[in-house]
Amino acid sequence: MSNADKLASRLREIVGEANVTDDPEKLKALAVDGETPGVMVAPATIEETAQVVAYAHAEKLTVIPRGNGTKMGLGGIPKKVDILLSTRRMNRYRDYDIANLTLGVECGLSLAEIQAKLAGEGKGYFVALDPPHTGSATVGGIVATNDSGPKRFLYGAARDIILGIKAVSPDGSIVSWGGKAVKNVAGYDMTKMMIGSMGALGIICEISFRITPRFDADATLLISFDGLKAAAGYLRKLLHSKFYPASLELMNARAAAAIAVSAGLKGSYVAAIALEGIEEAVARQIAELSEMGRQEGGTDVVTLKDQPHRDFWIAYRDLADTLATAAPNLVMLKSNFILSKVVEMVSACEAALLKAGLEGALVCRAGNGILYAAIPLGDDLAGKTSDLVALVARLTDESVKQGGNLVVQRAPRVIKEKVSVWGQSRSDAVVVRSLKEKLDPSGILNPGRYVAGV
Amino acid sequence: MERTAMIQELAKIVGKEDVLASEMEIQLYGYDASLNPGKPDCIVMPATTEEVSQVVRFAHENGIPVIARGSGTNLSGGSSPTEGGIAMLFTRMNRILEIDVDNQRVVVEPGAITLDIKNAIAKYGYLYHPDPSSEKATTIGGNLGENAGGAHCFKYGVTSNHVLGAEVVLYDGTVVEVGGKSLDNPGFDLPALLVGSEGTLGMVTKLTLRMMPKTEAVKTMLAIYETIADGANTVTDIVKAGMIPTTLEMMDNLTIKAVEAAYHVGLPEDAASILLIELDGLADGMERLTDEVVAICKKNKVREVRVAKNDAERERIWAGRKGAFGAVGRLRPNYLVNDPTVPRTKLPEALANVFEIGKKYNLPIANVFHAGDGNLHPLILFDQRDADELDRVHKAAFEIMVMCAELGGTISGEHGIGVEKLRGMSYIFSPRDIAEMRKVKQAFDPVNLYNPGKLIPADDAA
Repeated sequence: MSNADKLASRLREIVGEANVTDDPEKLKALAVDGETPGVMVAPATIEETAQVVAYAHAEKLTVIPRGNGTKMGLGGIPKKVDILLSTRRMNRYRDYDIANLTLGVECGLSLAEIQAKLAGEGKGYFVALDPPHTGSATVGGIVATNDSGPKRFLYGAARDIILGIKAVSPDGSIVSWGGKAVKNVAGYDMTKMMIGSMGALGIICEISFRITPRFDADATLLISFDGLKAAAGYLRKLLHSKFYPASLELMNARAAAAIAVSAGLKGSYVAAIALEGIEEAVARQIAELSEMGRQEGGTDVVTLKDQPHRDFWIAYRDLADTLATAAPNLVMLKSNFILSKVVEMVSACEAALLKAGLEGALVCRAGNGILYAAIPLGDDLAGKTSDLVALVARLTDESVKQGGNLVVQRAPRVIKEKVSVWGQSRSDAVVVRSLKEKLDPSGILNPGRYVAGV
Repeated sequence: MERTAMIQELAKIVGKEDVLASEMEIQLYGYDASLNPGKPDCIVMPATTEEVSQVVRFAHENGIPVIARGSGTNLSGGSSPTEGGIAMLFTRMNRILEIDVDNQRVVVEPGAITLDIKNAIAKYGYLYHPDPSSEKATTIGGNLGENAGGAHCFKYGVTSNHVLGAEVVLYDGTVVEVGGKSLDNPGFDLPALLVGSEGTLGMVTKLTLRMMPKTEAVKTMLAIYETIADGANTVTDIVKAGMIPTTLEMMDNLTIKAVEAAYHVGLPEDAASILLIELDGLADGMERLTDEVVAICKKNKVREVRVAKNDAERERIWAGRKGAFGAVGRLRPNYLVNDPTVPRTKLPEALANVFEIGKKYNLPIANVFHAGDGNLHPLILFDQRDADELDRVHKAAFEIMVMCAELGGTISGEHGIGVEKLRGMSYIFSPRDIAEMRKVKQAFDPVNLYNPGKLIPADDAA
């Protein structure tokens, strides 16, 4: 029996015949940055996952976790993909405790499915995360990549709403961190260490969330501006005010066009503000923030409610999916920076795009200091590569200058080979590497895809 | 290394006046607010990151433990030098380095007093939300070390939700930056690992904190009950109604009596429990929400609800809560306070069990607790000079901790493990979990230089 056959047969013993794929054609379609997996396995439980990882650990085989595949473009090119581990069959509710405002779920459930179920409970509840890939992203993938959406301005990020994580560590042990207590300082905060760790320290199998009761009222304000300074100035004023919207967003005309923002908005930039809370407060904010928008130079003001409001935010966060469907070779960049540098970062990005002869849809979390640039390269990948590589270098420098860094969230392999996908190395890289060496000394989990070459 | 030589070498780094080593000073800096005294070899008071780094390098080269220390208010033995070594006292590094209003961050040194930071940024109209009851005395470095909570966590979270970055001196003296003023820096969430690590991973020499604009309106209410269950059920009903108050704090009868005796804030001494509720947000709708809260209190057989009409009334209500530990401390020579947390819905059951355990060991227990978070604070009252009583105190505290773990909660919500709760770790973690945490410790501090003997049990049997 060949090594590959031996592996597949051992995996079949663990998860059953139907849940191991070694058909070369199917595996080719699952390639990560062009690296075809040796085999795909889909365990149904954390125990089965532990057995798969323990076997991989013993045989020094690499394991790359995958949910619905929405974020397989993130990270460095994998060193080796021996086993692609699909989390999709781990899709049960574990601890459904509405009265306590906590929810324990397995990693393979899609967030959309969880939200639909919670919405139907009593007054209605939700997990306060609204990352991209609305229909398909699994909670495991969202948490492992620390993905987030515009509502994080009000509700915080994954680190602020996750109470516990159960995972399989790189040697195949099942470990359990935190739980359902909202305050917990027993031991190190391993739960938060796992969030955003991209499976480099363990495979996240169960997550315990704090859930949020549905608010009474919601609405969206869209205000267009002719100039960047006016638009950013308005959002800045709002950021430092007593008002507390759910989202404080800024997009350029290209993004607004791709999202198909309702007609009647003219201008080069659009501020998008989500309001959620009690009725009286939402009503007052619609009135006062619209007025403030006009005073700050806003040209058009549109208020969305009900279905148009909900549709807008789904289209907004799924912008990259829309662009990726429309044209090939989408590059997605994420820059983080200090809150006051919105104008500097957006201008730098526009200048870099102009220089590179590229167009990009820009979406800025003005209340969080994050800028996403979605750049469709189109068919002429070879012709655009060097320009794009130069653009990444420029924007990385600019992000670092503004107190942050730049991550290439997705890009064709030829570009990944020429840029640093995780931005500039930071002084804490020594600790990142040291953690990886202690927790995964054989380097079997997602090798090469994480920060600092981990 | 011989102690006199050690003191001489350290004096070369920080100056002679900033190394303390007299018998009295060794005593003074040998304990915290728990029952776990230790004894440092000496106390060093660095003034800069560079000095911290040099002291650490010296300690590393000579195999001397280093224990970070602020105001010594720790409640689990975390700042007690139980294995000797150098007590690194951060009180000289107490500057507020930068109030960066534009970026809504404040950068501070670890020895800064929590309340001083809050007052400094309040001038600009901003808040730092975590508010441990001891904030008048605690250092922000200590808050980071223990992941301090407070009375406003139900809405705003704990210290770890507000620490965005730190400068850290690693075991070999290397200085690194983790996190920063900006969000989402790539890499493992190292600020989160440092917060609550009880000084076992690194010496934090600078912290970057989130500050948020002051809210427009606040409503503070005090509800008075004939039973504890009525108060606890009110909390459950408020949450069920979809409201997120900033505060849901309770006190039992023994605490009420102690607070009233100490502060005369007008609490009814015959009440079984009081519940402090605070809402914040925009002024619009606040009156309606207040009415809704009052209606929920009434549904739960409240005797009386007092709604603060102005800042003076609000402060009066809070004074009683903030001073509760001090007031209870007047009842007997000593108290031991634990901080286990249960899922909110298990609160009535957990409290009933606490009273049973008090009866079983014949010990008075006063309860002040963060009801919204399910975070108990049973204060067990005793006299340390009575050896039998002290023994019963430890047994009762341990039983309460285990009981909460068994109700699906945890053994510490905000005071830390230190040495006091090491034995409780096996009730919430498997040997594999603990082994994994040990690897994290080794990744940061392979030579076990920092605060040895804390947080992680020495062996899996613990």
